[in-house]
Formats: sequence, C-alpha cells, structure tokens
Amino acid sequence: MSDEVGTPEAEAEPETIDESPSLYERWQAIQGDEKTVAAITILGVALAPFLLVTLPEMLGFPRSYSWYHSLVTLTLIWGIFALGYDLILGFTGLLSFGHAMFWGVAAYSAGIFSANVTGSPIAMVLVGTLMAVLLAWLIGWISLRRGGIYFAILTLAFGQMIYYIFLSPLGNITGGENGFNGVEVGKLLGMVELGGAVPFVPPMFVDSWMYVFVGAAMVAAVVVGYRILNSPYGIVLRAIRENEQRAEFVGLDVWRYKLMSFILSGAFAGVAGSLYVIQRSYVPIENTLYWTVSGDIVVITVLGGVGSLFGPVFGAGLYMYVANIVSGIPVIGDFWHMILGIVFIGIIVLMPNGIWGRVDWVRDRVADALGGDN
Amino acid sequence: MNIVGEVVVLLVNALQTGAIYVLLAIGLSIILGTLKFVNFAHGALYVIGAYLGLVITQQISISNGLLADWGYPTLGLEWGFVAALIIVPFLVFIVGLAMERFVARPFYDRPDTDQILVTFGIAIVIQELIHATIGPRSYKYEIPNELFGTIPFSGPVGVPFSTVTMDVWRVWVIAITAVLVIGVYAIVEYTDFGLVVKAGTRDPEMVQLLGIRITRPYLVMFGIGAGLAGVAGVVGAPLSNINPEIGMTILVPAFLTVVIGGVGSIRGAVLGGSLIGFVQVTLISLGSVSLGGISFNFTPWAQVGIYVLAVVVLLTRPEGLLGSEEVGA
Amino acid sequence: MSAILETDDLVKEFGGLTATDHVNLTINEGELLSLIGPNGAGKSTLINLITRMLEETEGDIRFEGESITSLTPHEVVQRGIGKSFQTASIFPELSVKENADIAAFAAEHGSFKFNFLTHRDSYPEVEQRTLDTLEAVGLRDQKDIDAGELPYGDKRRLEIGIALASEPSLLLMDEPTAGMSPEETEATVDLIEELQEEMNLTILLVEHDMEIVFSVSDRISVLNRGSIIAEGTPDEVQGDPAVQEAYLGGVEL
Repeated sequence: MSDEVGTPEAEAEPETIDESPSLYERWQAIQGDEKTVAAITILGVALAPFLLVTLPEMLGFPRSYSWYHSLVTLTLIWGIFALGYDLILGFTGLLSFGHAMFWGVAAYSAGIFSANVTGSPIAMVLVGTLMAVLLAWLIGWISLRRGGIYFAILTLAFGQMIYYIFLSPLGNITGGENGFNGVEVGKLLGMVELGGAVPFVPPMFVDSWMYVFVGAAMVAAVVVGYRILNSPYGIVLRAIRENEQRAEFVGLDVWRYKLMSFILSGAFAGVAGSLYVIQRSYVPIENTLYWTVSGDIVVITVLGGVGSLFGPVFGAGLYMYVANIVSGIPVIGDFWHMILGIVFIGIIVLMPNGIWGRVDWVRDRVADALGGDN
Repeated sequence: MNIVGEVVVLLVNALQTGAIYVLLAIGLSIILGTLKFVNFAHGALYVIGAYLGLVITQQISISNGLLADWGYPTLGLEWGFVAALIIVPFLVFIVGLAMERFVARPFYDRPDTDQILVTFGIAIVIQELIHATIGPRSYKYEIPNELFGTIPFSGPVGVPFSTVTMDVWRVWVIAITAVLVIGVYAIVEYTDFGLVVKAGTRDPEMVQLLGIRITRPYLVMFGIGAGLAGVAGVVGAPLSNINPEIGMTILVPAFLTVVIGGVGSIRGAVLGGSLIGFVQVTLISLGSVSLGGISFNFTPWAQVGIYVLAVVVLLTRPEGLLGSEEVGA
Repeated sequence: MSAILETDDLVKEFGGLTATDHVNLTINEGELLSLIGPNGAGKSTLINLITRMLEETEGDIRFEGESITSLTPHEVVQRGIGKSFQTASIFPELSVKENADIAAFAAEHGSFKFNFLTHRDSYPEVEQRTLDTLEAVGLRDQKDIDAGELPYGDKRRLEIGIALASEPSLLLMDEPTAGMSPEETEATVDLIEELQEEMNLTILLVEHDMEIVFSVSDRISVLNRGSIIAEGTPDEVQGDPAVQEAYLGGVEL
C-alpha cells in the first residue's frame, strides 16, 4: 500500500507502458479464451448424447433410469433459457417471476407463424425471438420503473396476465387451453428434414438433425453469452447488482442497462421457446405460459449456480433428469419436486452473501466441463 | 325492481370475492410494511387453511397419495363448517408463528430477492407436500346452504328473469371478514401491542433501545396475518376447487391487492381487495355487450382486468391508493 | 476566478421541514470550498440537491453556467460533477481494477452504449484511464484484489479514485476522513491537496474535522438550519460570532 502518489512515479512510468499488452497480444488472449470456451461447448454438446444415452445403454444401465435423446435436446433448450435468465438474476441482480411470457410468446409466435407463413425453422426462431424481444422491451420498460420486490411482483403479474390473455380472449387464435395444434415445421434451409438422421454420423452419437440444430443454437448461446460477460456489460451489470447507487454516480445510466439486460435475457428465452415449439411441433399453454414455467426457470438457474456461465446449463440438466426420470421411480419419484424445492431452499439459506456468492466462473466451469459433463 | 336486485347481487358477489383478497392482503401488507418481509409463501397459508377446513368440515376420499398408500382411503372429521371456521384460524396462526420464527426471522437482514426466493421455495415444498400426501385431486367444498340458505329477489312482471337469487353464504363471508378486519384494525390502533408494532415500523432500533423486545410483537403479527390467510382459505375455497396449486394462483391477486391498496395500510387492503373483486365480478357479469352492432365479450377479460388495474395504479400512484409506511393508516 | 457552480435561492422542503432555506452558494473554479455546520444543518441535503438525488422545491442550480436541475444523477456526473461518498461506496465483489474500470468506461463511453458484443480488452483508452486512476490513489499494486477485502482506508481511497476517474471539474467530497485513523487521515488530506494542485480540481468538501477544514480550505461556507450564516476565508469564519454560536457545545474551532 503506497501512501504517497509522487514517489513511485519514476518506476511507475516505464511499468505502465510495458505492462499494457500490445494490441496483437490482447487479441490473441481474447481469441484463446473464447475459442476455448467455444471448443469446450462444442465438445460437450457433441458428446452429450453418447455419454448420456448410448454409453449407459451399452454398459447395461437400466433403461428406466436412462436419458433419452429428446430429453438431451430438451435440456439444451432449457439450458439456453437458463443462460439468458442468469444474465438478469445472477449478474444484474433482478428477480423476474414472469419469464415464462417470453418463452411462451415466442413459442406461440413461432408456431402460429409456421402455420400461416412458412415452416422454415430458422424463420420460426427469428420470429419467435423478435416477438420475445419486443415484449421484453415493453414489459421491462413498465416493470423497471420500481425496483426490488415490485419488479418481481410486476413480472409475476404480467406473466399471469399474458397467460390469461392467451387462454381466453385470444383463444380463437391460440387454441386456448388445448394449445396450438397447427404447427408445421418445415425443412431446415429448405433441404433438411429435422427429424431425419444425419448422414455419415452413427446414431449412437447424434440421432437427428434436430439435435444438430439445437446443439448449434446452444453453442451460439454460450459464445454470445460469454462475449456479453466479457464486454463492458459484464462489469457494468455486476456493478449495478452490487451497488446500484454508486453505478449511477459513476455516470452510468443504470435504468437503461437494466432494461438492456432484461431484453437480452428475453432474447435468449425467445430463442429457447421457439426451439421448444420446433421440437414438440405443438404449443401447450401449460408448459409455455403458466407461472410454473417461470418458477421452474428460477429453480433451474439457482440449482445450477447463479452467476456462472455453464452453471445454469447444468441446472437444466439436473432438473430435466429429475423431473422426467427420477419422477418415474416408485415411491421417491412422487417427491421429486419437493426434494428439488428443499435443495433449492438449502442453496439460498446456505449462501452467506445471498445467492450472489462469488464463483470464479471461467476457471471452475471450464475445469468441470472438461472433467464431468452435463 | 330487477335492476336493483341484480345490482345488489353483483355488489354482494363483488364484496365477497374481494373479501377473500382483503383477508389475504391484510396479512401480506402488514408483514411487508411492518416486518419488511416479502412472503411468497402466503398463498401456502391459504391452501393449508383450505385443506384443514375441508378435512374438519367433511370427509373426503383420497387416492394417489401417501396417506392413501398407508391405508387411509378417506380423511375427515365431519365436524361441520362452523367448527372449521373456529379451529382453522388457530391452527394456521400456529403455522404462521413457526414460519416467522424459522423462515422469516433469519432472513430479515437478507436482501429482498432472497426473501422472495426462500418463501417461494417453501410455497413449492408445501404444495408438493400436500400433493404427495393427500393427492393431486381437486375437491369441492359443499357450501353449507342448509345452514345459510338463499334469498330470492323478485322483480316486476313481464321482465325476463323475474327472480334473482343471492347466496346468504356470501353475505356471511362479508360479515366475517368485516369483523376480522375491524378486529385487527382495533388491535393495531388501540392496543399497546399495536403501538409497538407501529413504532417498530418506523424505527425498529429505537424500539429495541427502549428495552422493548420487538421479536414477540413481530411473531404475533405474523401469526395474525397467517390466521387471516387461513380464514380466507376456509371461506374462499367453497367457491372454487381445492387442489394443491391454489396457493400459488391466489398469490398474485393477493399481492396485487397489496400493491393497489398501498403497502402497510389496512384500509388500503380493504379498498384494494374490494376494487379487485368489483372489477372481476363486473367483467364476468357484463358478459357480452352490444353497442351499435359491435359486440364485445367481457367475460374472458375478467382475469386480465385486475392486472390492468394494478398496472395503472402502479404507474400513476406507485405507493398505492392509500399507501404510507404506517401500519393501520 | 469564475464561478463553476452557483445555487440560486435554493429551497428544499420535506413536508413541514425546510432543510434548505434560500441558499445562494457559489463555488469558484479551482478553489477548495468547505461546507461546515452542526449536525442537521442541511449539508447532506445540499449535496444531494446538487447531485440531483433530490428534487429541489424551488430555485436553480447552475454548473458552468448552465442549469442542471433537469438532469438525472448520472447525467450530472457526465457533465463533470463527481461525488465521493461518506461510506466507502465501492463494488466489493469486483476486483480493484474492475472498480476503476467501471468508472473509466462510464467516463470514456458516456452513460450508455450498446457494446455488449465488444470485448472489454479492445478499449485501450479505458485501460489507460483505469491504470492512471489507480496510480493516482496509490492502489495500482492491489488491482487484482477483491475490493471488499481491502482495509477500510484503502477502500476510501478506491472510492475517491472511482470519483476521480471521470475527470470531474467539480468534486464533491462528503466527509472523506470519517472513520479513519490519524495516519489514514493525513494521507487522505495529502491526497486531496495533491489532487487540487495537480489536477486543478475544484473541490466542495463537507467535513467535521475542523483542523483539516482550516488547513486545506480556500474558503468556508457555514450552514445552519438550512441557510448559510457565514462565508469567507478560514480566518474570517473563525472569528465570526454567528458561527461560534451555531456551534455552541459543538466542535471547537
């Protein structure tokens, strides 16, 4: 700790010039870091079906406890949703209880679009995401006027409002409580049937183009997410979370950053919701707009590890496995939701600084991803 | 006159619907305003009240749950409705005490979001507990009409629908709610206990420095709020189905009532609840309305209407219609 | 010397209480003006009015000739008024460097940018500003430590550093030595003096420690019950009977 400013100046100056890396070196460093993350994600996504579905089967693992292909796909979809959700919860510190509305509105938009315009999966995702982003802009603009708990209550209220709007007044378009049935998913890029097998790739690795499509989206989500965290937004959002007043007094337009963060998370939810419809070819209202979806994403993100990059994805995997497979186990199975709830409570209680416990997300998650898997 | 009859019935229905929300909102509002605690598990208190009431009042058959598996195909005491009305609030009051002591108290100094998350977790766990033990089935309360009856309103000859009936039961709900609200208001305004609670809202440190232990009044206040939620469960449930999920679904209108009426204000809760009840019932009753060839069906918007109301209030008068930091005002 | 900040009949009422009573304050460019007064005099309110955390009831505030009453707090900072808080208001879970980075980004990029897809390392000018700031408050060597783990004195320096990063023309310092040990206080005072000389910074200092006030100030304004009761050089203020009365039983001059 140096008390005086003047004295070390003579030493400081040459140090300043030397320490600051050259532009090229900096570029290399960025590239290396981001390339690593991308590579790990691609590897993880590529190997997941094999490690989770095929390998256990080959090793004689009981079928009823085993992952299946579409579940792995669903996990990635929820993983994308959770990644975006962590952006506002973990990094910005905002608790939204209505995020189902972005996922759901995207799902309905994509589905209805496919029935009336074109079933191109890419177009569906674009339309769904666009609707989600617009909605997030509107809802965020209204809800962020007040902070803290009012934001949570408002987002919960809006989420429910949209559920009820899609259920009844718009029932003619949306199909009401029966969901929307007219989804028509077309060929990817006009060439490839999503349900079809991938040529030259044995099914033990990847069972269909659908997985490739979703997997690619997952990789893109991780890369974009990582870039956002490494951008100025990465520290600005965390600063807002830790000391909003100070962030304002440093000259940052805190409100606009919160809104942007909310919109970005809505975009991720939109992509995920659109993919959900593409995978299911149907839009059920209960699994898209009902508050349970909003609750689920909160639980998933917290379980996986708030404030980390890959954490929420693991949370999605854990949740999907427990909800779909453990739930089928006799006796304990009925309690899956309750057990997860208890674990959820445990996590919140035990983190002394609240759930904003600091996680060295780059190093640890990378190490975990290399060692373990989804 | 028929119009009068219909309006009276509408008002009664509105007030009665609102009464449920008022009961929930008072507890929620005081806990939020005084204890500065966000309780997302308040709905769980409601659903506990509903099920306890169900089980005390009548006998239900259960399946698909642990209790069924352990050889209890039916469950119930059949002591009747009045018994439930007296016993349930006390039971839920005790649950509320436990909740304050073990959930709320450790979290008073934690950020709001943590409070929301942990109470949300509790709400889920309670919901699942009911789901697992009693089962996911929906139950229907039998409205004790033999006990309370109905009143017919007759209208003039020649008008279609010459009689309109009104459930006396609904009037009873309003009456019970009114008594309880006045009771709580009186406690807060006119007792030493209420004084401590109000002072604690303004300046908890000062109260403690004066040597008054703030924990006891907080505990009791939480319990009272819980008891009210329990009553809401008992009287509110007959009008809809009872299943494990109703705790969470009632949470939103309850919070909206608090937000509209103003945090920490008992009168605000009454106003907010009444407004919401009014909006909901009016929209349902309006049904399809035709104006100059254009017809609009209001009924499907009944649920949406209350959210619109909440948003309007929040944007124009953020502290709520009667909001202030003082309890009881 | 020209005035860098002027308040014009500034009034702030809270219900029945008048916290700021027709205050006409002038701060001249390059000077260090201290604002003193007994507790409850309205010093914090005045500061909060200038930073726009509070809306005035009446009156105007002009910074560099232009009224700032319609600006939001972050806009005021961007205009050139920095504030250093009474508590060590930093970002505890970020590293020291990241704390300075945020201030540097805000200074270089303004209040908002859509740059969520640009890597932080591609902004060398921000990097430079960060390092210079840390250098100025002597925390360069600790740049990778979590800010929350710094000793209190260092946290306060970081705090001042964050305020300085935006290169403000006017720095408001709200009791910067509160809670500091004598050594830390001395170091902070040295820092303040150096900042004033080297950066030609105009400083509005709110302080209770009269020794400091009388040694560093160019001018002093004395506030009591919301209005200015005396103004002038340290000598003038020291001898003013109104000031002595206001401090009856308070700090010795």
